[in-house]
Amino acid sequence: MLHSHDHHSHHYAHSPIQQAASTPLSLNVAPAIQVLCALIMVLAIGVTPNGHWITGLIYGMGIAIVLFIRPVNLTKLAQRLAVESVFVIVAVIGLLFRDGEGVLWQWGGLKITVTGLVVLGSVMGKLWLSLLVMNLLTMTMPIPVLLQSLSILKIPPLLIAILASMHRYLELLIDEFMTMRRAAIARNLVAGKRWQRLVVGNMIGSLFIRTYDRGDRIHQAMLSRGYQGVIVNQTSVRLRRRDRLALLITILFVIFGQLAFYLV
Amino acid sequence: MMLSHLFSIGPTIGQPMSQPIVAMHIPDGFLNVPVMLVAWIFSIGLLAISLKKVEADYQDRAVPLMGVCAAFIFAAQMINFPIPGGTSGHLLGGTLAGVLLGPWAGSLVMSIVFMVQALIFQDGGIIALGANIFNMGLIGTFGGYYLFRTIRNLVDRQQSGHQFKGLVTGTAIASWLSVVIAAALVAVELAISGTVPLAVGLTSMVGWHLMIGLGEALVTVSTVTFIWRSRPDLLYTSSRQRAETLSRSALR
Repeated sequence: MLHSHDHHSHHYAHSPIQQAASTPLSLNVAPAIQVLCALIMVLAIGVTPNGHWITGLIYGMGIAIVLFIRPVNLTKLAQRLAVESVFVIVAVIGLLFRDGEGVLWQWGGLKITVTGLVVLGSVMGKLWLSLLVMNLLTMTMPIPVLLQSLSILKIPPLLIAILASMHRYLELLIDEFMTMRRAAIARNLVAGKRWQRLVVGNMIGSLFIRTYDRGDRIHQAMLSRGYQGVIVNQTSVRLRRRDRLALLITILFVIFGQLAFYLV
Repeated sequence: MMLSHLFSIGPTIGQPMSQPIVAMHIPDGFLNVPVMLVAWIFSIGLLAISLKKVEADYQDRAVPLMGVCAAFIFAAQMINFPIPGGTSGHLLGGTLAGVLLGPWAGSLVMSIVFMVQALIFQDGGIIALGANIFNMGLIGTFGGYYLFRTIRNLVDRQQSGHQFKGLVTGTAIASWLSVVIAAALVAVELAISGTVPLAVGLTSMVGWHLMIGLGEALVTVSTVTFIWRSRPDLLYTSSRQRAETLSRSALR
């Protein structure tokens, strides 16, 4: 357990201390406020109507400024974005087979229309902007801090406790699965497709039995350490001036982005 | 997370886990406000009730048990297996969670998985999370469980004593149908939002998930069979079922 937790902390490239040191421009806003600002941003991106390009452009520039204040590994960011935008295929299929005004290109049943292009462009723009915001958040904030921020943002404590418990055992269970997989391959799993599915099913079944027993053992261990259910501690942050300012700037920026479409 | 060292099992041994061609987790930007709002209302309701139920049923076991079970589903979703029809896919696990943990704990565990996927791995959107919980948690898991239970009861009534047949039939049909229905829901939501036309969305999503659902059903059945053979006490039994078994054994 301890080992797994230790192991985990290695995955966070920066500790909060290093971050503060390496980015003098970082405004040192409370994590909960950072999470709240990111959520406001994603919400604003999500509710932007299709075709409001100027709003997207302004939001993109805003994110670029945050990226400048709080630099992350750009290669890693790009890799994550690429992996996460698989769903784009659905939008492209939608584009190709859509009826609409202004046919630009047609080949049999396939056609590209202006309507289709507007929807595709808007959806991809919104997808990538929100992915940027969320990636920036998770790449700069350790997961325990993120979960703690959620509890400050009034997410039920039981839910957070379960989320934290899941996150703690995730790597352990994946490792256990990989061990079983290696064992299965060492015993010639490649035989046939039906056989493979059967073995995968048995592996999942056996992992569930181990998991359930592990859950009971963890529970016993928690009880022996005096666990009496989730403690509801009223963690509330006193908002400092810079926190209020960050929140205010985000809200004003978001509204400005939406209004810009009607002003231009 | 050490996602990079995860490999698929089967025909592409040693290759990194491949992404499904048409994913089920809707990202941000694809849905319009009304769709997201309605989905959020339903999924917050589901979350609130299932949290209450789980807290009452499991008490202080809730945190460790639900936590590891959610991690279990997440891990199970990473293993690739061949799907009838030539490609490979992975488990979604909604019906499995329902059969193993019951409707409330099952849908809570699935919702937790979607939350972690959206928050930490950006798999599925944050403001689209409501729709994802609605599709795969409320319909896929909660609905999947009750479909499973209905079919199992129907089969078991005809064949008294053979509980296994009902378990397998129920699991197979429920896990296949829940995947297909969840895919259809994604298509409907995308159509209402004006992102993908309904006919196109239905054809591509449902067409693809007819096969994915088949893989889901086969693997879920083999998982449930394994647990039924080795630790049948771990399969979820509803309180009504428990009462029936008790009264039956008391009569004998």
